[in-house]
Amino acid sequence: MSETLTNEITLTRKDFVSDQTVRWCPGCGDYSILAQVQRVMPELGVEKEKIVFISGIGCSSRFPYYMDTYGIHSIHGRAPTLATGLAIANPDLNIWVVTGDGDGLSIGGNHLIHALRRNVNMKIILFNNRIYGLTKGQASPTSRVGKVTKSTPMGTIESPVNPISLALAAEATFVARSIDSNPQHLAEVLSKAAAHKGTAFVEVYQNCVIFNPDEWNALSDRTNRDEVTLNLEHGMPLIFGKDKDKGIRMRGFTPEVVSLADVSLDEILVHDATSKPLASILGSMENPEYPAPMGVIRDVRKPTYAAGIMEQIAQAKAKRGVGDLNKLYRNDDLWTVSAREENQSEMAGELPLTLDEEYLDELGRAAVETTPVQDQLTEENVSALNPKVPITVDAGSSLSRAIRQMNRHNIGCLIVTDEEDRLSGIFTERDVLMRVTGLVDDLAHAAIGDYMTPNPIALKADPPIAQALHLMSLHGFRHLPLVDEENRPTGVISFRDVVEYLNRSLA
Amino acid sequence: MSKSTPVAEELESVAIRFAGDSGDGMQLTGTQFTTTSAVFGNDISTMPDFPAEIRAPAGTLAGVSGFQVHFSSRDVLTPGDAPQVLVAMNPAALKASLPELERSGTIIVNTDAFTKQNLAKAGYKSNPLEDESLKGYQVFKVAMTSLNRTALESFDGLSNKEKDRCQNFFALGIVFWMFERPLETTKDWLFKKFAKAPQIAEANYKALQTGYFLGETTETFQQRYIVRPASLPPGTYRKVTGNEAMAMGLVTASTKMGKPLFYGTYPITPASDILHALAPLRNFDVRTFQAEDEIAAMGSVLGAAFGGALAVTGTSGPGIALKSEAMNLGVMLELPMIIINVQRGGPSTGQPTKTEQGDLLQAMYGRNGESPIAVIAPATPSDCFDIAIQAARMAIRSMSPVMILSEGFLANSAEPWLIPDADDIPAIEVKHPAGRHNGDDPFLPYKRDPETLARPWAIPGTPGLEHRLGGLAKAPETGNVSYNPQHNEQMTLERAEKIARLADFIPEQEVFGPEDAELLVVSWGGTFGVVRTAVSRSQRAGQSVAHAHLRFINPFPRNLESLLHRHPKILVPELNSGQLALLIQGKFGVKVEKFNKLQARPLQIGEMREVITQTLGKG
Ligand SMILES: Cc1ncc(C[n+]2csc(CCOP(=O)(O)OP(=O)(O)O)c2C)c(N)n1
Ligand code: SF4
Ligand SMILES: [Mg+2]
Repeated sequence: MSETLTNEITLTRKDFVSDQTVRWCPGCGDYSILAQVQRVMPELGVEKEKIVFISGIGCSSRFPYYMDTYGIHSIHGRAPTLATGLAIANPDLNIWVVTGDGDGLSIGGNHLIHALRRNVNMKIILFNNRIYGLTKGQASPTSRVGKVTKSTPMGTIESPVNPISLALAAEATFVARSIDSNPQHLAEVLSKAAAHKGTAFVEVYQNCVIFNPDEWNALSDRTNRDEVTLNLEHGMPLIFGKDKDKGIRMRGFTPEVVSLADVSLDEILVHDATSKPLASILGSMENPEYPAPMGVIRDVRKPTYAAGIMEQIAQAKAKRGVGDLNKLYRNDDLWTVSAREENQSEMAGELPLTLDEEYLDELGRAAVETTPVQDQLTEENVSALNPKVPITVDAGSSLSRAIRQMNRHNIGCLIVTDEEDRLSGIFTERDVLMRVTGLVDDLAHAAIGDYMTPNPIALKADPPIAQALHLMSLHGFRHLPLVDEENRPTGVISFRDVVEYLNRSLA
Repeated sequence: MSKSTPVAEELESVAIRFAGDSGDGMQLTGTQFTTTSAVFGNDISTMPDFPAEIRAPAGTLAGVSGFQVHFSSRDVLTPGDAPQVLVAMNPAALKASLPELERSGTIIVNTDAFTKQNLAKAGYKSNPLEDESLKGYQVFKVAMTSLNRTALESFDGLSNKEKDRCQNFFALGIVFWMFERPLETTKDWLFKKFAKAPQIAEANYKALQTGYFLGETTETFQQRYIVRPASLPPGTYRKVTGNEAMAMGLVTASTKMGKPLFYGTYPITPASDILHALAPLRNFDVRTFQAEDEIAAMGSVLGAAFGGALAVTGTSGPGIALKSEAMNLGVMLELPMIIINVQRGGPSTGQPTKTEQGDLLQAMYGRNGESPIAVIAPATPSDCFDIAIQAARMAIRSMSPVMILSEGFLANSAEPWLIPDADDIPAIEVKHPAGRHNGDDPFLPYKRDPETLARPWAIPGTPGLEHRLGGLAKAPETGNVSYNPQHNEQMTLERAEKIARLADFIPEQEVFGPEDAELLVVSWGGTFGVVRTAVSRSQRAGQSVAHAHLRFINPFPRNLESLLHRHPKILVPELNSGQLALLIQGKFGVKVEKFNKLQARPLQIGEMREVITQTLGKG
């Protein structure tokens, strides 16, 4: 299996050969591609453990088993998706995707498009044999119109997809083409793809000797291939032919093949791998109408997807600090429930609490560690405070009368009742201070109902003094009305009553 | 001030439903009420009910958007059955929500919206506010649109349309008054939210106040309700939805593993909010990836798991259908990963915004071949937090995919969450094999741990561990492609046993209620609140019933079988046609009674109690 790990990377072709027997048909173009990949790998200057091959399903997709690197033989068409997840999880890896014309352009066409446009750092080698090899010879999306296959005995009736044009349309940053029968050229193109940062797309014309054996005859014939292929070099004119005697120039929007005998070199297009329009023109030139463009069609730099994510992570950490879980949990409105108080949240307005069972339960539980005074406060009921008889008025009474009454009885509060003598409000000295003095001019014509606190908290039955104290301290009340089951006032206690009571009991 | 003072009625709990056009901002209104109630200390539970089509025509039944809040001075386990109060912003909202309102419930309507046109759109032949059709309900008619416009007269910079958008806060103000909610939380929120447009904040706050004062100063509202703060266990609380809790659970797990969190997904209701909650957390090393489809999302998760991240995807039923092939590869690759299915009503596109438990068998068996995966299900919104962490632990222990079956109902419902201290959550131990040198024994990627049967998690970048994984049948230990019949059987059984052994790792099943209860109710997922409430009320009524709520479905808790044999009767309520019942019957051979509901809505406490009574009565 694996070889030595040393600091300087000294790898050979053999380091990339796995212990698995290669099972392609004898004569299959896949062998040549495997050999060139294994030849190029040691030259990349990348540690072997950082290289990963991911494939889909097809004859071509057996590829990772034969490479002694990390690898996944995944499912049909989905290799780019695994590669994307891996590149995001670990942007340091050197990831290669191996796919076929069915795998990458039919079932996986969508993933190919999106991997290319995102510019995920991966090198995609598409083995184009214009047939389904593994499933034994059906038409593929690159099969030519009229192609007779097992699934199209009368010839295909659909237009093939042009992989290069598709890649360009998907905004691929590196697009190249080569062929299995020209190992030297293939190795060069693979090296250039490997050097590209971002998604590199390499279409390799590949011979399926069993199901589509004649597809690349013209382009592979050594004696004639220079006549039918156009080798691209950035910055060099587009000339081809055994004797370099032909070139490509534009006529209107259409490229045309011209003889250099008739046309001056100035008129011949010069390759520019950064020009998108030129790339589109080259991509559209299909053999046999044109010589097949071979080599790097487009090569531009754009930020890669994973680098973008890592940059955002760095920015977010710089700006907000490394994530703190406790802060995250608390990033919302919070409230606290403490063991003794039920609730410490801000309560606006007054809460009409009646006898609170849970509160009494709590007092019961807390009894273990209480002081004698506390005991007394919980054991004795408010009747021990000698509640005053309530002075009641109805809501329609005038303020002047009400204030007179308070003075006459020397009391701090009046209880307001409705027609059925039920508690409906409370009017206290504080109301006089806060709501009346200096604000109301005509006391005789103002009704107490408009200045009282409606529906005040009242004590029902005869609860422990502790509860009365609790309510007073919780809400800042100085007076609390007492009511019977019918909500009719039976008495009033004041904070002063509590103080006097404590005085008595402590004496 | 009021001339005749309204009566304040004290209630233990109240359910309120806000309903309007999806453009009326009813979700927002409901959320604000929920937040305020939570801060006020009431135990709350909410259920938003979105229209399926976000842009359904205004005023039509299809366009009605609702939000139900249940708050209480006791533990709230569910968003409440029939609401007691309905706020209806137009005739369609009234029509759609009325059937659910409690008899003699309270209705607050915006009379301005009851125009001929709107009545016709809602399919009313005559105006329900004028005929007898609302007899028996307490109806409060408020000309919200015009009152609101008058209140906002001084806001010269705002168009009428913009003023009308404040209407929902006007309605909210009325409800705040009825239930004695303070305005502060909402005020703070408004001024934070519209910090850049203070006029909008002011206008909305003015509308809110006006609604509140309307309650205070007019005679319209004879009734106001008070719900006392709940008594919850001591600690600091916030409100949390299932999706929020899930997201926080996932980040907690990845942090506790010391790994990046990779979340690859494709948007789908009701799972998208998990993505929305995770995407801003880049400073936690969260790497969210919006894929081109669910297939790609699942593929990316496989890749990220291979790379050593905590790899997670989230989706709903249709997305699971697309992910199945890649999930199956995950089973073969034996890599840890989490798949979240926030179930919706099905089949097919079904009811995207509604809830159901129809995907249990899909989770268990929805892949070709023998492909066991662990399946767990949260019981409440806040339980999603614990379940997410649990899923990570199980995935790493078994080196296998774990499926979380959440539900639309849990995902969008909110409840108070007793905030944990992150430091108290134990670390999640992750082991990767160390690199190897020349001359060491060859690395065996499928050599299993004798206790857990997990294979080693060797990640790219480790020298000397280069290995190839794939979906083809394998030989033991080496993982090399093998079509040997014995190898196939051995590997298939080992993968299954590995999941079965997780039973040693998960807690035993707890039972609520007496050991000798005649009836054991067995439920799973989001029905927890309703079933637990119903069982507890039945117990108080003297019925012999106990409740076991399953959070772990594959594997089942190790003591489940004996529990099932302990009680003479078993009742399995589900929001499907009996999928858990089928699993239990098939696995344990016990007879079970089923209660199934297929309305893509939560169970109701009342009907659950009836079924308990019926089942106990059966011979
Ligand atoms: C989901 C799925 N559908 C169908 C297949 C069957 N299948 C395997 S490979 C293949 C086509 C392969 O063609 P290509 O990608 O051109 O690869 P080649 O064999 O030609 O290298 C098909 C249809 C499969 N494995 N999975
Ligand atoms: S079927 Fe064709 S592509 Fe497949 S291995 Fe044989 S020759 Fe190669
Ligand atoms: Mg092919």
